[in-house]
Amino acid sequence: MPIVDTFGQFVEKWCDTAPQRARWLLKTGWEAQNLKFRFLPDRRLIPADRYLARLMMDTMLRPLQHPEQCAIISVFTPCELLQEAGLSPYNAEAFSCYLSASRAERGLLQQAENAGVSETLCSYHKTFLGAAQKGLLPKPRCIVYTSLMCDANLLTFRTLAQMYGVPLFAIDVPLRQTEDNVKYVAGQLRELAAFLEEVTGRKIDAQSLRTRVGVSRRTLEKFQRFQRLRAGRYIPEDLVSPLYCGMTNNILLGTPQEEKYVDMLLRDVQSAPPKRGKHIYWMHTIPFWSGAVNDALSFSEKAQIVGCELSQACPPDFDPEEPYEAMAHRLVYHFLNGSVNRRIEAGIRHAKEAGADGVVWFDHWGCKHTMGAAQLAKKQFEAQGLPLLILDGDGCDRSHGGEGQTATRLGAFLEMLDQAGGTRDE
Amino acid sequence: MNKLYYVCKYTPVELLTALGADCANLNGMPQGFDRADQIAHPNLCGFGKAVLEQVMAGEVKELVLVNCCDTIRSVYDILADSGKLDFLYLMDMLRSDGTCSRERTVEQLRDLAAAYGVYRGAAFDIQAFRRAFQPVERGMEPYISVLGARMGKQLYDMVSKAMPYPVENDTCVHNRSVGEAPPPEDGDFDSLMDWYAGELLRQLPCMRMMDNTGRKQLYRHPNLKGIIYHTVKFCDFYSFEYMQVKQEAAVPLLKIESDYTLQSSGQLLTRLDAFAERIGSHWQEGMEKKMGKGYFAGIDSGSTSTDVVILDRDGRIVTGVILPTGAGAAAGAERALEEALSHAGLKREDIDAMVTTGYGRTAIDQGDKSITEITCHARGAYYLDPAVRTVIDIGGQDSKVIRLDENGGVVNFVMNDKCAAGTGRFLEMMARTMETSLDQMSHMGLKYHEDITISSMCTVFAESEVVSLIAQNKAPDDIVHGLNKAVASKTAALVKRVGGEERYMMTGGVSKNESLVKTLEEKLGAALVVDENAQLCGALGAALFAMDMVDRS
Repeated sequence: MPIVDTFGQFVEKWCDTAPQRARWLLKTGWEAQNLKFRFLPDRRLIPADRYLARLMMDTMLRPLQHPEQCAIISVFTPCELLQEAGLSPYNAEAFSCYLSASRAERGLLQQAENAGVSETLCSYHKTFLGAAQKGLLPKPRCIVYTSLMCDANLLTFRTLAQMYGVPLFAIDVPLRQTEDNVKYVAGQLRELAAFLEEVTGRKIDAQSLRTRVGVSRRTLEKFQRFQRLRAGRYIPEDLVSPLYCGMTNNILLGTPQEEKYVDMLLRDVQSAPPKRGKHIYWMHTIPFWSGAVNDALSFSEKAQIVGCELSQACPPDFDPEEPYEAMAHRLVYHFLNGSVNRRIEAGIRHAKEAGADGVVWFDHWGCKHTMGAAQLAKKQFEAQGLPLLILDGDGCDRSHGGEGQTATRLGAFLEMLDQAGGTRDE
Repeated sequence: MNKLYYVCKYTPVELLTALGADCANLNGMPQGFDRADQIAHPNLCGFGKAVLEQVMAGEVKELVLVNCCDTIRSVYDILADSGKLDFLYLMDMLRSDGTCSRERTVEQLRDLAAAYGVYRGAAFDIQAFRRAFQPVERGMEPYISVLGARMGKQLYDMVSKAMPYPVENDTCVHNRSVGEAPPPEDGDFDSLMDWYAGELLRQLPCMRMMDNTGRKQLYRHPNLKGIIYHTVKFCDFYSFEYMQVKQEAAVPLLKIESDYTLQSSGQLLTRLDAFAERIGSHWQEGMEKKMGKGYFAGIDSGSTSTDVVILDRDGRIVTGVILPTGAGAAAGAERALEEALSHAGLKREDIDAMVTTGYGRTAIDQGDKSITEITCHARGAYYLDPAVRTVIDIGGQDSKVIRLDENGGVVNFVMNDKCAAGTGRFLEMMARTMETSLDQMSHMGLKYHEDITISSMCTVFAESEVVSLIAQNKAPDDIVHGLNKAVASKTAALVKRVGGEERYMMTGGVSKNESLVKTLEEKLGAALVVDENAQLCGALGAALFAMDMVDRS
């Protein structure tokens, strides 16, 4: 039996009887994995992606090592303010991914369902809730979330705040892209600054915040430049690196580490060989655990993922000199906010920038927004000359897999792209 | 004139009325989702699909939506693309009720008024606006409340009919409370809208609001006798409230789920009837019958088998038979009763009273009364072993867990969803996939070597997992053990939901499955009592209720 299975079984088992021990095991296992990333990295990856694996693991370990210095957040929470207040992100979606990768998710999902949570809730939220209910996850300093994109945010974080008995701050993001709405959100972010100052006792420095939001803007600009440059190149990819980037481009935006990552990307792309095989742009989360998707797209010269929708926030056109308005602008004008047509148009633009030959629209179980838009997306992407595969599955819960079906659908889609002939060079 | 339909309580119905609209709540339950499934994903919530279905069928021409949830936002996007509506509008309601939200809501009201005014070519009629506010009257008598996700009209009618008290629909859009206070006497459009935005936001908060602590009053009313908590498949909001209600409500609680079609009504009706039996005592007032020969019969008409038990005047089992139900419940019951009578050497007229139970209970004309299998199983289990506090019944079509009090009364119960996961049917299908019989399967898995986990509980997915395990040459014992673990884990989840405690009894056909019983015992960490009459438990309970109907003094 692979070691990760045994590891997951022990984490699951100890959760029931000795959650502290299960947490220790989780931390120790992840620390061991981090050492591997440092000293025995996957040499097939470009240096930037090797660095990204370590960066992500460091971020995941911090809540297990120093939970009192961490805030539980939803993935699109603007984190510059938290960074200024000295808080590290303790991100629900990323944690669930890592718990699933550690093969410990089954019992956690079951725990949440036993408590009454509906089985149709997004499995990222359900895994995190189950882990918190079992006592596997430590108590954070506070919780901050936004209403952006996902209803589950409204439910999960409120429940967690009650359970842990910690302060909660919610950012309400209206649907429409208007300057009045930016002002409304900026007002809330100013309140968030006061909230964080009270929670941590640390003053948020206005100038330092401006500088940090400037880093965010530069990072998004550089990432956009990289995505355009990669269109004609071959960059070996696994399934997790585009997903890591989807997380870090949100929860670490504004940090020098994330800027270093995009700088490395820009350096690595210069020496990348010309394009090989098909470029696949991925909408929504990636089922990294799926053998079928791995077989088709991981380190394959025939087809690779060239970007994940989640790593794109909004056009980098906000003004760091007005940091609250800038962060509010990022939320209101986020590609995932508002009518789904905005999301689809952005997806088409980004897919074309990365030289995509085809697009996968991943209907993650429980994500009503993504499922609801699937047919519209297919129509609009294909009208723009981008073949689109609607793939049903789950980013986190293996029981919603259907590996045979995934292999057939994805395989047939890639064959179809091959038959269409030629590759697309932008 | 077309009706203007709305779906959310935050819709400014009074404003739209003042602009000439004839407003109605869109709440029908369609027969199916043929049209909706063509333009949207099947895993949208049933209500969202019901809206799509009704619009695509041409039944709706004007629709005002609110950004209630991810599904409704998607419904708006899909409908906007379809071009099927004459007027479609999405209100961007904020999620807090602070001052800023009020200002933003006023903007929304102005924008909607302008859009609808242009569409209809009408101006705001201030008198019509005032007239539109109607105070909501509510009775003072004891009542049962339907809470949670919106409930379709037909299901609500069914619930109302089944309950022993008046039923209030307090779900979602139905607890709209705008209109408790009339608008101020003076003021222009702008000042009225400012007041109106406040009234809309001041309502009992819905689950999408960031602060919804005010909702507790829904389940703390002194006249409340019971709660039917309704959720809609693929709507996640209310399962969170249910977690809280389950812990805090002081009255009996039943959770039901619908997909906004009436297809699962048979199973829902059993639960509703059992709940009505639990909170009211009307069902116990039977016809007082005279004692004749002193024999009493119970018939349990299940999906797989029909069971009959005959008791004598001392409550001793004279005979018990189990026959396949066959094509029709009534004919199956007739056959089983004849068999039991002949077995006992009795005639039909020797039976003083007869109670029917099980799915087919209402289809059988013969009985004097019908009682749900939940109440009957509890009674039967208590008769077999008075120390039992939790009954686990896994039958062909469903599985249920019933908690008993020290007198054998039902304290609480849960049933599986309408899918086959965790039922006898699941095991039957897996046996077929493995080309073995249920009987053989019940002895397999006792001695396994590899601890296989079947992760899918969906019968269809689990079947393909089993096929691939067979292809990998896994030992049949190991696969069966994996399947048993899957069923045991689903059952243990039901036990947890109902607050199960020892002593446990297992009834129903699956109680004969030796290896599953063992796996379930391991999962629960407790022994299961399996009585030799376990399969007859429902019929036995029914016969005991029949005995109650006769004056034996």
